[in-house]
Amino acid sequence: MKKVININFKGRVIPIEEAAFEQLQKYTESLRRYFANEEGRDEIINDIEDRIAELFDEEVKKGATCITEASVSSITASMGSVEDFEQMDNDGTTSSTNVHRSASSTSSAYAGSEETTRGSLSRNGNDKILGGVCSGLANYLKIDPTIVRILFALITFGGFGTGVLIYIIMWIILPIRDLKTNVRKRLFRNPDDKVIGGVAGGLANYFNIPVWVPRVVFCLPLILGVITSIFRNAWFDFDFEPDFVFGGFGGTLFVTYIILWIVLPLASSATDKLQMRGEKIDVNSIKNAVQEELGGGTVKERTAQMVEEIKEGAQKMSTAITEGGQRVGAEISSKSKAFAVEAAPVARSAGAGIGHAIGVLFKAFFLFVAGVIAFALLMALIGVTIAGVATFPFKGFFLEGTWQHVAAWGTLLLFFLVPVIALLTWVIRKIIGTKSGNPYLGYTFGGLWVIGLVCFVILIASFGNNFRVSAHEPQTVEIIQPASGKMLVKVPSSKVKIYGRRFGLDEVFTMDGDSLYINNIRLRIVKSTDSLYHVTFDKRSSGQSKEKAMANARSIQYSLNFKDSVLTLDRGFTVSEHSKFRNQRVAVTIEVPVGKRIYIDKSVDRLEWHNVTFNGPRRGNWEWEDDWDSRGWNDTDVEYVMTEDGLERVDGKDKQQDIKNKEQSIEEEMTELEEQKKELEQKEKELKDQKKENDSLRYRYNPNQQKAPEKNSKQIVEKINTNSEAPFQPMTLNAL
Amino acid sequence: MNIENTQSQMRKGVLEFCILSVIKRGEVYPSDIIEEMKKANLNILEGTLYPLLTRLKNADFLTYRWVESSSGPPRKYFSLTEKGAAFYKELEQTWNEMANAVQTVTKQNGRLNATVTGETITVHPSSGNENPL
Repeated sequence: MKKVININFKGRVIPIEEAAFEQLQKYTESLRRYFANEEGRDEIINDIEDRIAELFDEEVKKGATCITEASVSSITASMGSVEDFEQMDNDGTTSSTNVHRSASSTSSAYAGSEETTRGSLSRNGNDKILGGVCSGLANYLKIDPTIVRILFALITFGGFGTGVLIYIIMWIILPIRDLKTNVRKRLFRNPDDKVIGGVAGGLANYFNIPVWVPRVVFCLPLILGVITSIFRNAWFDFDFEPDFVFGGFGGTLFVTYIILWIVLPLASSATDKLQMRGEKIDVNSIKNAVQEELGGGTVKERTAQMVEEIKEGAQKMSTAITEGGQRVGAEISSKSKAFAVEAAPVARSAGAGIGHAIGVLFKAFFLFVAGVIAFALLMALIGVTIAGVATFPFKGFFLEGTWQHVAAWGTLLLFFLVPVIALLTWVIRKIIGTKSGNPYLGYTFGGLWVIGLVCFVILIASFGNNFRVSAHEPQTVEIIQPASGKMLVKVPSSKVKIYGRRFGLDEVFTMDGDSLYINNIRLRIVKSTDSLYHVTFDKRSSGQSKEKAMANARSIQYSLNFKDSVLTLDRGFTVSEHSKFRNQRVAVTIEVPVGKRIYIDKSVDRLEWHNVTFNGPRRGNWEWEDDWDSRGWNDTDVEYVMTEDGLERVDGKDKQQDIKNKEQSIEEEMTELEEQKKELEQKEKELKDQKKENDSLRYRYNPNQQKAPEKNSKQIVEKINTNSEAPFQPMTLNAL
Repeated sequence: MNIENTQSQMRKGVLEFCILSVIKRGEVYPSDIIEEMKKANLNILEGTLYPLLTRLKNADFLTYRWVESSSGPPRKYFSLTEKGAAFYKELEQTWNEMANAVQTVTKQNGRLNATVTGETITVHPSSGNENPL
């Protein structure tokens, strides 16, 4: 089974097998290259193509359904291959018959155009991105121009631009010539098998390895980054900084990819693709290779030839040195002229080349940004999934009823896990290069995710409903007024011993068997309305209804002890799986009378979310929910004294701080004023100068009339300005 | 030194002369030249003919015009210019001298390897079993 395509070939519509078409393209391409130096190159190719088209047409008219590879072969054989032409030419150059000499006078370009030049370095006009320096060098060294280009790019990137300098020098020095790229296989970017730039695809073709190998290598830092960041950042805080791109190994690969992207040509034509894949290794190609090797004759002949060449070279050198001195000057000028002349048309291609490079860099930049965002999203998704798994042991405390459990599972598995799996599948697919065989896979993933989304919404809605109403139950603790006029606040280590496995979420929740340990406790210190200490605490909770919220609040087991002027607070309280977590919390308020002291022990730090709030509103109109967010806090292990203006540190550290702050602000204001003063002075000076100038001008142009109308003087100034500018303009232009 | 090489060189030398002589007879389509050469047992690759024609044309020895064809796009028909005719004349003269010279020289061997009649050459393959000595 072969694919047949219709082509418009020289004004004729020809049905042709795809393989035959490629063969034909390869043939015409080879002709084009062969006749590259001919004067009437296009005409010759046109004539030949016309003839081929005619022959095809004849064949079709004879009744062939399409042009096959065999017919292309027979036709190209009758037209003659490049090898045939070469043979003819080589015969021609060695023969020196009378007849031929007269002929060769008319066709001097006939011979020698395709000689592989050994020992003379030049730029290649046939295969170039900028000036053909690299491919010329490659031709000289008989290697793939791509390798030279890569080396140049590396020198440029690594050696602070020395590559560019060398390139430009060689561009100027070397003559341009049309050379054949005599390489069996070339490194291209593969447009048929690409994810980003087709670099990996081209590399795979070049080294004859499966395409996923270079892809994995390029992706390695990314994959490693994902894995390490999963392990490094256990739960929430993922490090999204793209170390994996810039750090060491990964950075090198990243830069390498971009260099290759810029340097490698895209295999756009069929010939390029064939060259990219390289020739098949079979008996024929080996034979060809061997023949090519022996083409120059035996080793003996070759060495003789070499000796000859060296001799010639030496002779040339000596003559060149004697003559050269005078000619160098002329040469350089002509070279530079030639360069200038050449530069014009080359500028376009150079511009295109640089444009390509810039384009690639831009693309790479955007891809990089997009990649970082995508990577961050992926990590966030994985993070949420892991967090979800981590919170799952707690779900008993949060969720109520079967439906919520189902929704929770659905959310975790479908809403979070499915995209992660889908993304990973996609990435692996891309790396391996297989196309999705199952078009329903996407729909399946999408459908599952939508179900997950529904679960998520249900869960959030019903879960939120559980927290709809909140209620509180204030309680007062009976205390004996401390005799010393000083109260101590302490939080002893937990009564509830935590043993076994511990799942921690920022220490807010701690789980122990079937009870959840919460330390959602807040401490507040306010001024007492009378001359007594008062201690109250408020148990609060949310719930689906007022009654449920109240019940939840009442079930909080929290106690305060007051003994010998020491107030002991529980570190936390527990919530059983039965009573569920409904944002239960406790706020402790201590009222301190004016003039009395209170000592906050270091152990109060144990209250994880402890907020020691001072100077809050008086008792009675203290709304918990407002206060919960207020950020009043202070140091522990400090003794405070209540004053009329509120709580103050006994050691006066806060006062000192206050003074310092004030001092600083005054200083700042002073410097600001100083600056403003300077500015004003400057302005004054400027204005004064302007005035002086004005006066002198007025005097100069109007000595009789001391006080000319302002309008006039302005006009004069304008005139002077235009006058003084006029003679300068051409001068600057000339100078440039 | 192999025989094929020498032979092809000989052929090549007269190729241009032969092509010009075909064109001299009147306007001609390149593939007709190939046909005629084939008939004369002088094989030439079409791919080498076109460059040759183009070069001759660029040297002002040939000119062409487009002739409408029934089977497709117009085709190029070549003819000699005045300059080309003069060039041909010179070649012809050279050839005749050469042919004479060759004939004279080969006659010395008492054998006739080639006869030259006007503008076409017929190559008789030597029978091979005859020893020149």
